[in-house]
Amino acid sequence: MSTLRILRDLLRYNGEFAVGLMLVLIVLAVAGCSFFSPYPPMDVYVVPPDVPPSWEYPLGTTSRGQDVFWQLTFAIRNTLLFGIVVAALSRVISLLVGLISGYKGGWVDRILMSINDTFVVVPLFPILVLFYFIMRDEMTWAMLAIITALLGWAYDARLIRSIAMSLRTREFTRQAVFSGMSTGKIVFQEHLPFVLPIVFSTTMNNINWSIGIEVTLSVLGFTDINTPTIGGMIYWANQHTAMVSGIWWWITFPILLVIMLFIGLFLLAISMNEYIDPRSRLSRLGGQA
Amino acid sequence: MRAYLAYLSKRLVQFAVVVFVGINITYLVTHMTPINPVEQSISAATTYGATSPEAIEMMRQSLRQLYGLEGTPWEQYVAFWKRVLVGDFGPSLSAFPTPVSQLILRALPWTVGLLLVSTLLTWILGNLLGGLAGYYRNSRILKAFGVLSMGIHPIPYYVVAFVLLIIFGFLWPVLPISGGATMASDRSNTFAFALDVVVHSILPVLSLMAVGIGGWFMGMRALVSNIVTEDYVVYAELAGVKRGKILRSYVMRNALGPQVTGLALQLGAIFNGAIITEQVFGYPGVGSLLISAVHAGDYSLVLGITTVSIVAVSATVLLIDLLYPLIDPRVEAR
Amino acid sequence: MIAELRSIPSSDVVKAPQAVPLLSVDGLKAYYKVKLFGIDREVRAVDDVSLKINRNEIYGLAGESSSGKTSLIKTIAGAIRPPLRVVEGSVRFAFKDGERDVYKLSPHELSAIRWSHLSYIMQGSMSVLNPVRRIKHAFADFALPHVSAKGGDFTSLVERHLKRLHLDPAVLQAYPHELSGGMRQRVTIALATICSPEFIIADEPTTALDVIVQKGVLSMIREIQQEFGSSVLFVTHDMAVHANLTDRLGIMYAGRLVEEGRTRDVFKRPLHPYTAHLISSLPRIGDEAPKKGLEGSPPSLADPPPGCRFHPRCPLAIDICRREAPPMVEILPGHRTACHVAQADPARVRPVA
Repeated sequence: MSTLRILRDLLRYNGEFAVGLMLVLIVLAVAGCSFFSPYPPMDVYVVPPDVPPSWEYPLGTTSRGQDVFWQLTFAIRNTLLFGIVVAALSRVISLLVGLISGYKGGWVDRILMSINDTFVVVPLFPILVLFYFIMRDEMTWAMLAIITALLGWAYDARLIRSIAMSLRTREFTRQAVFSGMSTGKIVFQEHLPFVLPIVFSTTMNNINWSIGIEVTLSVLGFTDINTPTIGGMIYWANQHTAMVSGIWWWITFPILLVIMLFIGLFLLAISMNEYIDPRSRLSRLGGQA
Repeated sequence: MRAYLAYLSKRLVQFAVVVFVGINITYLVTHMTPINPVEQSISAATTYGATSPEAIEMMRQSLRQLYGLEGTPWEQYVAFWKRVLVGDFGPSLSAFPTPVSQLILRALPWTVGLLLVSTLLTWILGNLLGGLAGYYRNSRILKAFGVLSMGIHPIPYYVVAFVLLIIFGFLWPVLPISGGATMASDRSNTFAFALDVVVHSILPVLSLMAVGIGGWFMGMRALVSNIVTEDYVVYAELAGVKRGKILRSYVMRNALGPQVTGLALQLGAIFNGAIITEQVFGYPGVGSLLISAVHAGDYSLVLGITTVSIVAVSATVLLIDLLYPLIDPRVEAR
Repeated sequence: MIAELRSIPSSDVVKAPQAVPLLSVDGLKAYYKVKLFGIDREVRAVDDVSLKINRNEIYGLAGESSSGKTSLIKTIAGAIRPPLRVVEGSVRFAFKDGERDVYKLSPHELSAIRWSHLSYIMQGSMSVLNPVRRIKHAFADFALPHVSAKGGDFTSLVERHLKRLHLDPAVLQAYPHELSGGMRQRVTIALATICSPEFIIADEPTTALDVIVQKGVLSMIREIQQEFGSSVLFVTHDMAVHANLTDRLGIMYAGRLVEEGRTRDVFKRPLHPYTAHLISSLPRIGDEAPKKGLEGSPPSLADPPPGCRFHPRCPLAIDICRREAPPMVEILPGHRTACHVAQADPARVRPVA
């Protein structure tokens, strides 16, 4: 089935996919607005501070004299960028580990899975905190992205591995091997279409996870606070005791937007998962598998 | 029995690997920076008051060993491990001269209590409701609950905790939003104290549960939907076995296995969530301790907490793994 | 397995049809209705089937994989779920304690007759037992509600039943995965017969078993039937098993019953071209002629051919076969067939090869 047809079917019959896509598109649109911002992102006191949402400033202004809306566009753009970069990097590792482990089997598989499980079990947050502690001001976004990717591949690698394992034993694989197809060709031509959907849904989940890490770390002040990010906005709002002062718009809008993003990506991920599993697809059509 | 012993030894080896690799990662991370955290920490700690030269020297000594500055790289590594294995992280810099282990031990019960209660409640409730939802597919209440719990699930712990803080801190202040128990309370009356603790834990527990329950619900519901089509369930229904019995003994029993494994896998993530939730609600557990240690530049405390977290979580996972064969007798045959 | 027709024992005379058959299926129609991405589809799994099964009789049901056999027996057992629904017809049992119309019973009444009056041996012995509980619990779950003996008495009852079927009672303490496939199948049969049901449905109980184990299972079923006097509806595509075990035989094709009669009669003198083909494909000692396969494949049950469903592949098809579906008519005593050609001239029906 062509990709376009799959998308059309998903949109029509899968409410979750439609809602998820809509939410993500809204967030992307907001991020896109950042390119039209009249104010540079890091500048402060460019507008009168603490103005509630009004016609002139639709989402209000912060205590630091920034327009909440324009600040938000940059914040979500940076946060999203971080999430996407981490997800991309960790896909590479997940795919490598998962596919090699799934295909080779034997002791290679066992060793890789042992390491994999280590990364799954070990609580990553304290390690990230430790990392920040050591690096302090030397820590750049790039470094944080790299180390988060290095820590966050494990869960997805396992999923990819199980798909690889089931593909390895299937009839058409045996046929391909028998007919002399090289392993590389088999993986890319025959198997990739099966692996891609799971990669897609794990990417969505991974983006959620890494953005969650970013928000949490930034809120604690453990990242480069001067770059506007969602977590950063909340951090500054807390520093200026926004809630207590009644400047609710400074916190509420970033939180709302990021919740939209989380739920949107999540819905995309689970609707893709459901689509892959033929039984759940069948039960949607009024039958019982 | 022999099969179980083989299983046990495999799991123990995995536990050792996890702890070993985890602590090594910690060691590696601490060596990533060119700056010397020892001197940095000492100068940060000593700016606040007069500390005797012997105390400073003791600090420096333990920090150098912990950081691994003495001797060759190999000797550094060995010295580090020696200290870690004994659990001696030296004195805390922010609460000098209290040893780090003591601080951790004081905070640990709070975290353990919080985690135990919230994880068990979330897991049991989530699985129960998810199982029912998978079996009784037409129940509207269950469907509504599903939408709600799955809506909150993707939101990170911090955001949920913060939202709850706002709601109960500002809009509807009926629950305490910080502390493990009321300050300067009379701890001799155990029942009153216990009640106080429980009341203070409501918000953190609620926060953790709100995020976690959706995951278990979804997983269990999917599992049960699949199990319901399995031959042994269909057969039992054909035989006229009562629905309740089928749900309990045939469906749930078979779904528990993967969910227990899932619990072991999620424990790290749940722990992460607990750290940040403690911070938001000022709950005096290991999480808050970690964050304040970072702000105070207390290197030994941060290192100590990280190491203890790794060991504690791995040990809990090991425990869960060891209990698994009780649920699924097939695992011995694997 | 070599086809050997067993000699008709004199007890055959005793097995003459009685006044009220144990099972009466009348004009049964059960269809799957599916909406697939906007397209409505109706799969006619069971299309107007009528048959009767008497007491103390083994009735075989034969046919290819997509003939609708499994749907039919599931419908008879009252064990179908949407999207499969009964559209027309009835299934009635005449048990010793009263008549039951399966599709007029309340769910409570339906589960009351299960296992005590009507039991089911499912296909695939591999996974019908709960993997996380010991076998003894299966017996307790399935049989205890229907039996007056409780506790220790019940256990002795089960053990006696097992011993009677040449099974070691120690099997009760085992987990399903600890037993071999053949063993599990025999335990399942013991489980299905513990309440001495009047009617047993056996769905491909010997498929996926090797020949030696098959023999054991078949003799077990025969023993049970003789000892308890139950009726057995035995479904399998293996004609040799039918030849060895069943008293009467029904042939299904594309959701319809096309022939039915005493097993011996059907084998010696098939009255439907499809049956003729099935039988001729069995190897016989000394027969060296090459076997010819039937052309084409069974029709799709969603869009079956008009008239007789077999006509596209039938070597004897005539014009009327393409237009009108042949009714099931008794041509010889106790021997029915649904074929225009046979109804015109029974002698013309010959095997294909």
